Amino acid sequence: MARKKNEQFSDDDQDYGDEPNFDDPEGFVDDVSDEELLGDFLSNKPCETDGVENVVVVDNIPKVGQARQEKLRSVIDKLFSTFGQINKEFYPVDEEGNTKGYAFLEYKNSENAEEAVKSLNNHRLDKSHTFAVNLFTDFQKYEHIPEKWEPPTPQPYKVQTDLYNFLIEPDGYDQFCVAAETAPNAIQVQFWQNTLPEPMELETRDRFTETFVKWSPQGTYIVTFHKQGVVLWAGTTFARVNRFQQAATHFVDFSPCENYLVTYGPTPDGQKIIIWDIRTGLEKRTFISKGNMSRFRWSHDDRYVAYMGENAIFIHETPTFYLLDLKSIKIPGIRNFSWSPTDNIIAYWVAEVTDVPAKVTLMEIPRRTEIRNKILFNVAECKIHWQQSGDYLCVKVDRFSKSRKDKKDSDVKFLGMFYNLEIFHMREKDIPVDSVEIKELILAFAWEPVGTKFAIIHGEPNIANVTFYEVKKGQKPNLVKKLEKKVCGHLFWSPRGQFIVLANLTMGTFEFVDTENDFVVMNSGDHFRASEVEWDPTGRYCVTGVSAWKVKEDNGYYIWSFQGKVTKRVMLKNFEQFLWRPRPKTLLSEQQQKEIKKNLKKYYAQFESKDRLRTTRASKELLEKRAHLRELFMEYRVKRIEDYNNQKTRRLELRNHVDTDNLNTEDVEEEIVEFLIKEETTIIE
Amino acid sequence: MKPIILQGHERSITHIKYNREGDLLFSSSKDSKANVWFSLNGERLGTFNGHQGAIWCLDVDWTSTKFLTASGDMTVKLWDLEYGTTIATIKCKSPGRTCGFSYSGNQAAYSNDSSMGQTCEVTIIDVRNADSNLSTADPILRIPISSSKVTSMLWANLDNNIITGHENGMVSIFDLRTGKELNSVKDHTSTINDMQLSKDGTMFVTASKDTSAKLFDSESLVCLKTYKTEKPVNSASISPILDHVVLGGGQDAMEVTTTSTQAGKFDSRFYHLIYEEEFARVKGHFGPINSLSFHPDGHSYATGGEDGFVRLQVFDQSYFDYMFD
Repeated sequence: MARKKNEQFSDDDQDYGDEPNFDDPEGFVDDVSDEELLGDFLSNKPCETDGVENVVVVDNIPKVGQARQEKLRSVIDKLFSTFGQINKEFYPVDEEGNTKGYAFLEYKNSENAEEAVKSLNNHRLDKSHTFAVNLFTDFQKYEHIPEKWEPPTPQPYKVQTDLYNFLIEPDGYDQFCVAAETAPNAIQVQFWQNTLPEPMELETRDRFTETFVKWSPQGTYIVTFHKQGVVLWAGTTFARVNRFQQAATHFVDFSPCENYLVTYGPTPDGQKIIIWDIRTGLEKRTFISKGNMSRFRWSHDDRYVAYMGENAIFIHETPTFYLLDLKSIKIPGIRNFSWSPTDNIIAYWVAEVTDVPAKVTLMEIPRRTEIRNKILFNVAECKIHWQQSGDYLCVKVDRFSKSRKDKKDSDVKFLGMFYNLEIFHMREKDIPVDSVEIKELILAFAWEPVGTKFAIIHGEPNIANVTFYEVKKGQKPNLVKKLEKKVCGHLFWSPRGQFIVLANLTMGTFEFVDTENDFVVMNSGDHFRASEVEWDPTGRYCVTGVSAWKVKEDNGYYIWSFQGKVTKRVMLKNFEQFLWRPRPKTLLSEQQQKEIKKNLKKYYAQFESKDRLRTTRASKELLEKRAHLRELFMEYRVKRIEDYNNQKTRRLELRNHVDTDNLNTEDVEEEIVEFLIKEETTIIE
Repeated sequence: MKPIILQGHERSITHIKYNREGDLLFSSSKDSKANVWFSLNGERLGTFNGHQGAIWCLDVDWTSTKFLTASGDMTVKLWDLEYGTTIATIKCKSPGRTCGFSYSGNQAAYSNDSSMGQTCEVTIIDVRNADSNLSTADPILRIPISSSKVTSMLWANLDNNIITGHENGMVSIFDLRTGKELNSVKDHTSTINDMQLSKDGTMFVTASKDTSAKLFDSESLVCLKTYKTEKPVNSASISPILDHVVLGGGQDAMEVTTTSTQAGKFDSRFYHLIYEEEFARVKGHFGPINSLSFHPDGHSYATGGEDGFVRLQVFDQSYFDYMFD
């Protein structure tokens, strides 16, 4: 068949006549290059140097014999394959088959390679091996460094915004920001200065953040959240100072001295936590939490950052972020820990196991010496409360008289609860501990931020008692006042001490108490359904807010004076957050502060006159505005009153010539009408 | 400032009004009754029985002899005020919404809802020698309202014009000699719940669901002032003696049960007429205020609420002593 077909074809071919000759004529020279014809095609021609930029060189890997090479490869693979697929790997070996301590890895593309270099350069595999990861092309680059040095071209000077401008405001007014949702995932943020007599708006940013905003602890930066990561803003105009890319970051923490930023974002492998250097914007350390890590907690001076894992505390040292002494602190059964706000001391507590009592321990870092241990029995739960100046520590211990194990849920049920407050006197020798026993349920505990008092709410939520204790050196805590039958569940001390707000956040009622003057309730007020309470850093104003996060109606905020008078009411649709801008700690010594307090009378007069001037100026403006409005209105009225007067005859006509323009109540004659109500007959004997 | 509380209705108050002299106070309710009270002591003088549906609007003529009500039972009734008897019952094709006497009291107007397949209409009738024949007599004028329905109505510029407030927030003025619309403005964005004239009739104040009240010129319909709140305003009244406006309202009646009195904003709120600044609030009702009115002498005011009570508040001396500047 095939042949036959061929024959047919050949037959057909004949029909077209002789095939033309396509040969080049003799002596023809081809002047069209392949390049010209197939340029685009040829550019894809593979060459030897292709993929060189995908190669990384990993130095300082362990030198191992053949037997352990497989293990080494798997370790390296595991580390490096997180950045992309590794196409080729090469481990040079010496004559004896031992690896030479370096390896070449080829990725699929150059981005992966760069990523690997960025993340794993200087990675510590173990004590003696720190990777040096470089791009292969870098070797080439540095081989071809030109002999002659050329001075680098000067970079244009970039003006840095003054980050602390807000502190030099001559009147020391505080700033605050107000966030409200204007569209889904678009939060408008307003910046205000709390000037007298009316706050002044500094700036409004639409779509500033997608979820919420947060100030850094000293108020230098404000952080916004976006899809790709977080952004820090600062300076007078709230300009962008740095960006930190981590997709879907849902939360951040600042270190207390504002050197580092910790971002938390979910990844498929677990929560990813990155510690960044705020000034350089560089990633310092990355952690993946599989749900067993606590939040990162910083020591007061930024020197250490710690987190709790299973039965251990991990403390990392700055700026290297190596594990302190390269090992964690093993504490079996640890339940919680907390840094002292002023010293490098950690307080932690260990739960009770059969036969072993619970324990609260104070440990000094970095020496890891246990400076105080307190053994506790029948403990259900502990809460650690540090006083702000680090002088005292209170551990609230929930204790039980009986416990019962529920077989079904393997839950332990506690019965006959009572509560202990263990007060640690941190500044005294051997740290003596005092104990206060409370029989009732403790609803809230709060230290006075400046001072030595603390307040607790105890009893039933609807008829609670508020009790104040004072702690003195070398003495047991002393009950100073008990306010009975208060309906409140939260305590908010003024940041300067002395004043406290007892808040009932379900109804939105607030009581302002002065703890220096016989604990008198200065005032009480309500802000229906208010869920937030924010004192300003000076302790002169307090803000309550109804946030759209809690309720959708009546959103807005009230500004109260510390005496409990509402000075401003603002209703704002979809209001979410009100945040005072924090201030750094004062630079004045205690002596200087005392000096100021002593001379307060002198300053008082100055400020008073300044305030008076300001209010009169404002009221003058208001009066002028009103006078203007009145003038305009009267201009219009004069014409209309004339119209009205002209209508008089017509008005009389319409109402039978009775003048009804005025009420004339004085002219009305009183008329006494007598009529018979009842007739009664009484027979007189 | 202790109020007199008038308890005589079984359901929410829809409208209250003083007569010209201010000795009588009229109230109408959803319980299909209208009451008349002595404003001095709050004693009830009588009740107008006869309607079978909620009374939405009432008016009294300047001589206090005739009384007019518009009701959801699809009738408008003219009453003899002295005896409390019905003079005439005018049947409408849909529920009556508003009614009012003209300045002279010779004419009256009423409007009906644009429900039940009916278009909204403003009807002018002659009530000079009113008797039962009025029920069947032809009206003087019918003005069909093709746009949004009329929710409040006023006689203005003596007997010449009618001003209507509409469900969509529009305010229109009609010339009764021609029956033509002269002008219309849309400064409000939602239902106009109430309109009340100033003492001299040259201005009127509107109360709207769009949470504001506005002051208009009653000839040109120029919006002069705006008084802003956070909740729908149901009623507003201008003081006859001072530059004050009082606003009453609250959220929609259907939402009332889900809100606490604290949050409900059921206060009457006093604003300065010219400066548009709020300067006082009076608490009391535990439902929204549906209607309020200044006494013609300006020394007291009354509010009628969704809670079914009418509260009569006589101002303290401090109210008159309060100077704005």
